[in-house]
Amino acid sequence: MLLNRTTSGSRWRTRPDGPGKVTGGLSYLTDLSLPGMLHGLVLRSPHPHAAIVSIDASKAMALPGVLAVLTYADVPGLNRFGIARPDQPVFCEDRVRYIGDAVAAVAAETPEIAVLALRAIEVAYEPLPVVDDPERALLPDSPLVHPEGNVLHRNDYRTADVAPGFAAAAHIVEETYVTPRQMHTYMETEGGLFVPEADGRLAVYSATQHGFMDRMQLARILGRPEADIRVVSSPIGGSFGGKDELNVQPYGALLALATGKPVKVHHSRWESVRAGLKRHPMKIRMKTGVDANGRLLAHEVEIVADKGPYATLGAEVLNFAVEHVIGPYRYDAVDVKSVNVYTNNGMSGEFRGFGGNQAIFALEGQMDRLADKLGMDPWAFRRLNLRKTDDAGPLGQPIAVTAGASQVWEALAESELWRSGTGRGSAGSGPGIGATGGKSAGHDGSGEEGIGLAAARVEAKTASDRGQATAGTPAPPWIRRGVGASFVMHGAGLGVGIPDPAGGRLRLAADGKIDAVFGYEEFGQGLIASLEQMLIEQFGFAAEDVRIVIGDTDVVPDSGSSTASRSTSMMWQSLRRLRGPFAGKLIAAASAALAMPADRLRVGAGGIRDADGGELLLPYAALAAATAKAPVIAETRFEFPRSPVDRVGAHFLYTYSAVAVAVEVNLLTGRVRVADQYHTVAAGPVVNPQGFLGQIEGGSGMALGFSLTEDAVMSGGHYLTENLDTYLIPTVAELGGTFEVEPIETLPEGDEYGPRGIGEVGSVGLAPAIASAVYRAVGKRVNRLPIDPALLQETDGWY
Amino acid sequence: MAMEQDEILRTPAVWHPGDAREAWRLKEAFGPAGVYVAGGTLLRTQWEAGVAEPPAHLIDLTAIAGAGEVEMDGEEAALGALVPLSVCRSHPAILARYPLLAEAARVIAAPSVRNLATIGGNVVSRVGDALPALLALSAQLVWQAGPEPHACSLADWLERERRAPTPASGVLVQIRLPVPPDDTTSNAARFFAYHKVGRREAFMPSLVTVALTGRIGADGAVEEIRVAAGGGQTVPYRLDASEAALRGQTPDGKTLAAFQACVEEEYEPKPDLFATEAYRKRAAANLAAAAVWQAARDAAAGRKG
Amino acid sequence: MIDRTEARRASGDALACEINGDAVTVRVPPSKRLLSVLRDDLGLTGTKRSCEIGRCGACMVLADGKPVNACLTMAYQCEGKRITTIEGLSKGGLHPVQQAFLEEGGYQCGYCTPGMIISVTALLREQPSPTADQIEEALSGNLCRCTGYGGILRSVQRAIDLTKEAQP
Repeated sequence: MLLNRTTSGSRWRTRPDGPGKVTGGLSYLTDLSLPGMLHGLVLRSPHPHAAIVSIDASKAMALPGVLAVLTYADVPGLNRFGIARPDQPVFCEDRVRYIGDAVAAVAAETPEIAVLALRAIEVAYEPLPVVDDPERALLPDSPLVHPEGNVLHRNDYRTADVAPGFAAAAHIVEETYVTPRQMHTYMETEGGLFVPEADGRLAVYSATQHGFMDRMQLARILGRPEADIRVVSSPIGGSFGGKDELNVQPYGALLALATGKPVKVHHSRWESVRAGLKRHPMKIRMKTGVDANGRLLAHEVEIVADKGPYATLGAEVLNFAVEHVIGPYRYDAVDVKSVNVYTNNGMSGEFRGFGGNQAIFALEGQMDRLADKLGMDPWAFRRLNLRKTDDAGPLGQPIAVTAGASQVWEALAESELWRSGTGRGSAGSGPGIGATGGKSAGHDGSGEEGIGLAAARVEAKTASDRGQATAGTPAPPWIRRGVGASFVMHGAGLGVGIPDPAGGRLRLAADGKIDAVFGYEEFGQGLIASLEQMLIEQFGFAAEDVRIVIGDTDVVPDSGSSTASRSTSMMWQSLRRLRGPFAGKLIAAASAALAMPADRLRVGAGGIRDADGGELLLPYAALAAATAKAPVIAETRFEFPRSPVDRVGAHFLYTYSAVAVAVEVNLLTGRVRVADQYHTVAAGPVVNPQGFLGQIEGGSGMALGFSLTEDAVMSGGHYLTENLDTYLIPTVAELGGTFEVEPIETLPEGDEYGPRGIGEVGSVGLAPAIASAVYRAVGKRVNRLPIDPALLQETDGWY
Repeated sequence: MAMEQDEILRTPAVWHPGDAREAWRLKEAFGPAGVYVAGGTLLRTQWEAGVAEPPAHLIDLTAIAGAGEVEMDGEEAALGALVPLSVCRSHPAILARYPLLAEAARVIAAPSVRNLATIGGNVVSRVGDALPALLALSAQLVWQAGPEPHACSLADWLERERRAPTPASGVLVQIRLPVPPDDTTSNAARFFAYHKVGRREAFMPSLVTVALTGRIGADGAVEEIRVAAGGGQTVPYRLDASEAALRGQTPDGKTLAAFQACVEEEYEPKPDLFATEAYRKRAAANLAAAAVWQAARDAAAGRKG
Repeated sequence: MIDRTEARRASGDALACEINGDAVTVRVPPSKRLLSVLRDDLGLTGTKRSCEIGRCGACMVLADGKPVNACLTMAYQCEGKRITTIEGLSKGGLHPVQQAFLEEGGYQCGYCTPGMIISVTALLREQPSPTADQIEEALSGNLCRCTGYGGILRSVQRAIDLTKEAQP
């Protein structure tokens, strides 16, 4: 059943954070200000690679209105940060390694004076050779980004020697896939307000995906106990993985403590571009062989990723990519080698999909090409090689068993979009002159057209006459249509070897509200709404009974990071663990207060209610008063489910998805337009229908950019796309077609893990589906993203 | 030190001359320290990007009497240089008489930017996306670069700028367009086409822009054809040789192929990091040929119906 | 020498205009961008700062009913104008467009939402029954990174109905 407002019925709710967002009343952390606050700015390296010869801040310090100028000498604790490994300098001492590297920071009375102060800091550099290509960085004569070498991490995985499989193969496909440096492009840039409190503590109001991790890192940098620091970290104007790591926090914190005054920092878009994280550009070479029947024999993969200069979560992303270039298929032999390479390019790090986007673009590209060589339907080819329900995971590890793989395979095979697209011909036949590549699903009537029929007018590129056939209107002969599909198996949670704590707290507060307290962050994904929905549906509370508390390290428990599609899953698990104890305590307390047996009472909207008749017997406020001496509280702590193996990064819970997309290729310009999309997602129960739909649609929007419009172009270690006039994310005009989402909610009997995460999966499958659709439209293979229109442009044959 | 800082921190003074001559005289007086500002959208983008510094004096042109007017009579249309692009997009008389210009305006930036940005600002950038349309419409420019205004053809001015860019000291006052001939009694079919190719579907800088106007006669031959092309950092110009190749011809496979090859040869776009010269040439040639192909089909259908 | 009797010069420091229905006079340099005047001088932080070069629409406000990017608009360009920010739309209770976005979930992180709602409001005032093309054109200058525009377009459809209901 398709997911939408109608089919969701009363489960479609207004988000609790909605009113503040539509009225502008909600203050984001970059909206905060205090009287007397100073403005902080960071001086960043103009060179991608250089030695620092000297730093002279005296002229800057002398400027009227400048209250602090800080360098590495002013860091009381560890002058390093990094979630996995603290190797990135807060302030560089003797070397800068990318153009976002920080050298100094100032706090001034006005933003204008802060700019002047930055200009007055004199830094002498000696430029060094720039390492801007990861493959060249691996050569023995390459300049070194770090003294210990240019390799951050290697991860090799092999099940058997691949040579025999290739020798026996009837068909072999060898291809190299290249994916771009994609930018998160959250609409709210990094920033916040940093406030030294009267009691000596520091309050940090700055976005992050993990308040406790920020607190730990800041404590380490400031040389202060964690208890001295309070991190307030939500609401956030978008993150997508880009705000998990530290960014402005060290500078704001240091400046606030140095001046004793509140300091505001708010990145301009250019500052965000130069200093911020990006998706790892990857080059993935794959060689895959099948027998004459189409069975996968051997799969050899080499991944080279461009790390930039510091670790952040680069090893983790690489590990994820290794797992996902293997994915949901069965092979006789697999041999994967991977390396994440230091360069002086921009920083790469955590980004929605986490290496899966790159890996699955390559893997699905192989599957499509192999099917073609075999003359097989590409979807049937996948079925032939698809994992069985009880199979181990991609790394041979035990995983939570579900039928998700075959469920999404079937749903896509049955979908209208896929059936309409494959109705007209076999894979690889590519349309001839005049054919328009088949029907576009969702439209009545119009189908193949050739030359000779009046077509929509050329001059206006509006939806109706861009070549998109509406009912009865044929498309011009230079428009070719095709439908493609892809398969996704995407792991959630952090995997083996990385602390993956979860948990939360329920409390009946003195004012009668049920506090639901979790250490997660709201960056738009609808976490608050999902939590409210679960509390209403699982406990029977009314929305007004509940107060959701997140984003404050002084108050919330550590629930782990809001990342890796884990938050909703873990909230669900937490509430499942909490329901018995918390409801039991509420009822026990009510039973005492009312002098009634517990089995006549139940938890409900507004308070404790009669188990039979439903009447309200004791409002929560009254129950709170009655339990004032021993407040009702329940807390849980546990770990994200983990596979019982040693292989670092191996996942346990997976989400499966299949994507079909119809595209139109304009032969005149080579441009690709996405028309209709169908996504089926097997992730267990839908917790929050509006949120689920939004995450798949939104993730798909990012994937569309990844495929067609986005590339943070660098040259010699410098960004050439500095703002949103040259770094192009999709507008409403790219996404005008129909969009269907079909969740598959059934889980095996006895499955204890509940809903799987869906925050990332929407962003993973569209790119290979587009590449597949383009092939069906024009007979050309794409192995590099974003798709270069020059490859698809034709100069004759269309008229 | 403090005075220097004050100097640097001082923001531009803004002047509001009431007529074009006054504006020009202010500019003469201020020299490089004075900058004309129309909508200000391009200037602000340059200041934010650090490509230019805010000047000591801004000469606001929007107070000039009549600068934002659209005037039409039987002979010609006069668009004040300060007419916003949003007006070019939706003014009924422009839509009726110069749909090519309205279409160009439709794909420049986005509605909110068009409410501020002006047709004059687009012209004086030398690479504005409205220019191929204005060239195809044989626009004239009226400048105030001295005590008296003077006019010149847009094509001539752009040609001079293409060869040797010079900062104009004059104020662009008006863009004049000849009234298109009345074809209601003839059997000829007028057509126009405007294409802007970028790296996404909307709100993007151009890689290639092509504008065409023309007329297909009752016999199916191209009676009139004008083609202008620009895009990116290419100063636009009319493709005279391509026009000559098509003029008088009947658009069939052979003549269209020849026309297409001519456009590809004659159009010399500047490459940049986003698209090669070859891609731009092919796109312009394809789009121009497709426009003529379409026009011929529409004309044939019109004759039958 | 500049003949000051001929040229009119903006009085250096004061901007007088109407913001959300209230007459406002604020001392700011004439070239200061409206975005900074709203957020920093007037504390109206509903209008957001994102790209700062007019390429994203997060800073959209209405000036005399027309959508403009507050990051591109300078104070002197606002003299005497009626400025409406997102805060102004809900002055008398939720505007139908705001209501529609709530119902359809036309937002996620919410940062693009004020600008988006301003654009939709301007569209529906101009064109109460817009076509798909008109909607697309009207929103082409508002970037959203979270929603993929699905929820936004559904909100526009709902807003069309709610706006008509509000003005029978």
